Amino acid sequence: MSLIYNWMYYIASGGLILIGMYIILVKTNLIKIIIGLNFIDTGVNILLVCIGYVKGRTAPIFSTSRINPTNVVDPVPQALVLTAIVIGVAVLALALSIAIKVYEHNKTLNVTKIRGLKW
Amino acid sequence: MVNPSLLIGLPLAFAFSIPLFGLISKKIEKYIPIIALFINMVISFMLIPQILKKPIVVSIGGWSPPFCINLVVGPLGILLATLISGIGFLVSIYAVSYIKEEPTEKYHILFLLLMVGAIGIVLTGDIFNLFVFFEILCISSYALVAYYKDKEGTEAAMKYLIQGSVGSSFILIGVALLYGFFGTLNMADIASRITSANPTYLFITLAFLITGFGIEAAIFPLNAWLPDAHSSAPSSISAILSGIAIKTGVYGVARMVYTIFNANSILLFIAFLGLLTLLIGEMCAFRQDDIKRLLAYSSIGQIGLIIFALGIATSLGVFASLFQIVSHALAKALLFLAAGYMIYRVGSKSIASLNGLGKKMPLTSFAFTIGSFSLIGLPPFAGFVSKLSIVYAAMQVKKPVFLAFIAIALIATIIEAGYFFKIVQNLYFKEGKNLDKITESSGYILIPIAILAILIIVIGVHPQFITGLLKASARELLERAGYIGWVLGGT
Repeated sequence: MSLIYNWMYYIASGGLILIGMYIILVKTNLIKIIIGLNFIDTGVNILLVCIGYVKGRTAPIFSTSRINPTNVVDPVPQALVLTAIVIGVAVLALALSIAIKVYEHNKTLNVTKIRGLKW
Repeated sequence: MVNPSLLIGLPLAFAFSIPLFGLISKKIEKYIPIIALFINMVISFMLIPQILKKPIVVSIGGWSPPFCINLVVGPLGILLATLISGIGFLVSIYAVSYIKEEPTEKYHILFLLLMVGAIGIVLTGDIFNLFVFFEILCISSYALVAYYKDKEGTEAAMKYLIQGSVGSSFILIGVALLYGFFGTLNMADIASRITSANPTYLFITLAFLITGFGIEAAIFPLNAWLPDAHSSAPSSISAILSGIAIKTGVYGVARMVYTIFNANSILLFIAFLGLLTLLIGEMCAFRQDDIKRLLAYSSIGQIGLIIFALGIATSLGVFASLFQIVSHALAKALLFLAAGYMIYRVGSKSIASLNGLGKKMPLTSFAFTIGSFSLIGLPPFAGFVSKLSIVYAAMQVKKPVFLAFIAIALIATIIEAGYFFKIVQNLYFKEGKNLDKITESSGYILIPIAILAILIIVIGVHPQFITGLLKASARELLERAGYIGWVLGGT
C-alpha cells in the first residue's frame, strides 16, 4: 500500500499518459483522438507538478512572514505547468477547429474513412 | 554591439503589429514580413564576426546564468539563425504575389511567428524555453498547412497536429524528467551535471526527447505526417517547412545527443536510423507522380543523410552534416518555390503535366534544374561539396560498418538522381499539352528563386565563404566543455 501512497501522483500521471496514448492509437473518431491528446497533456502537467511537490509543505506565496523557503514546494514546475496549460489550450482549440473543417469536407469524423491522402 | 535577443523580439513585434498596419492600408501588410526578416538577416550577419571571436550569452531579467532564462548565441546558433532569416526573407518576397487567398494578414502573422519559433529554438539556452519555441513553431505550422482550408490541407494538418502534439508532449515529459533529476532547466547546467545521474533514467529521458524531436525531424518510423503536410501546404510554406522547420528537429536531436547527454554510445544507432530514413525516403520518392509529394519524400531522404552524418561524430562528420543542412535548405526551398509556381501556372500537381515547361518558363525551369542537380550532388553546386564531405568523413572513420553505410547511402543517391533526372528530362525534352497560354513567372517570384540559385552556385564554387562558421559550429557541438564554459563561466 505504501508504494501506491508514496507514488500516487506519478502513477496517476503515467496512467493518464498511457490512457491518452491508447485512445490515440485505437479510437477511430477524430474527436476522441483529440480528447486523447488532451489526456496526454493533462498527464504531463500532473507529472510536472508532482516533480516539484514536497510532502507536507505549502504553496510558495510569501504573504505571511511565517512562511520561509524551507517549508514551501518548488515553484518552478508550477510556472512551467501554467505555460504548458496555455499551450495545451491553443493546440486543443486549433485541433477542434481543423476537425470542424475536416468534417465539412468529408462528412465524417471516422479517420479510417478519411482517405484523401494515401501513402 | 547588437543585442541578439532582437533576433527573436523583432519578428515577434512585427508579427503582432501586422493588423495595426492593416488598419492604415491593406496593401502594406504583406511587406511587413520582408522588412522584419531583412532586418533580422542584417543583424545576424553583423553578429557573425563577433560570435566567431567570442560567443554571446544574453541573460534575461538580470540574474546570472543558471538561474535565468538565457540565450546562448554560439556559432551553431548564429549559423542556423542566419539561414532561417535568410530563407524566410526570400520566401516572404515570394509570398507577396503568391498568396492571394484571404485572410492574407493571418498568413503573414503566422509566417512571422513560425520564424520566431525557429530562431528561438536555435538560440535559446534554456530547455523549457526550447519547448515553448518549439510549440510556437509547431502550432503556427499546423495552422499554415491548413491555410487554404481545402480537403487535402485540413486532412494533412490534422495528421500533422496529432503526431506533432504527441511529439511535443514527449519533449515535455523529457524536460520534466530532466528537471526532476537536476532541478535546473539551464542546458549548460544540466550538461555539466549529467554524469551524476543514473544512466538508465538518463536513457529513458533521452529516448523521450529523441522521439519528440524525431517526429518534427521526420526520422524514419516517425515520418508519416511529412509527405502529406508538405505537399498540401501552400508552396511558400512547403519551402519553409522543408527548408527550416524539419532542420530545427535535427538541431534538437543534435543538441540533446551531443551537448546535453554526451551520449556517444547511441551515435551508431543514430547513424543507422539516418541511413534507414535516407533509403525509405528516396525509395518512396521514386514512385511518386505528384511533384510536391516527390519533393517531400526527397526531404525525408535528405534528413536521413544529415542525421547519418551527425552519427559519424568526428569533427568532419558534424561539419559535413551542418553543410548538408545549409545546402539542402537552399536547394529544397528553391525547388519548392519553383515547383510551386509551375503548379500555379499549369494547374496540376502531377509530374506529367510539367512536360515541356522548359521552353515556356525557361528561368524557373533552369532554377529548378540547378536545385535538383545540387540535391543529387553534382559539381559545381553546393550539394556536391556537402555530399563529398559526408562521404569523406565516413571513409575517414576507418570502421567497416561505416564503409557499408556509405555504400548504401550512395545507392540511395543514385535512386535520387534517377527521379530528378527524369523530371528535368521531362521539363526540357518532352512535348507538353495545352502550354500555349503559359508565360514566365513575374518579378516577385523570380527574385527569390534567382537569389537561391546564385547562392547554391556561389557556395558550390567557393565553399570557403561558410566553412569557417561551419567548423566553429561543429566544434561547438563536439566540445561540450566549451559550451558549458560560455554559459557558466570558468574553464
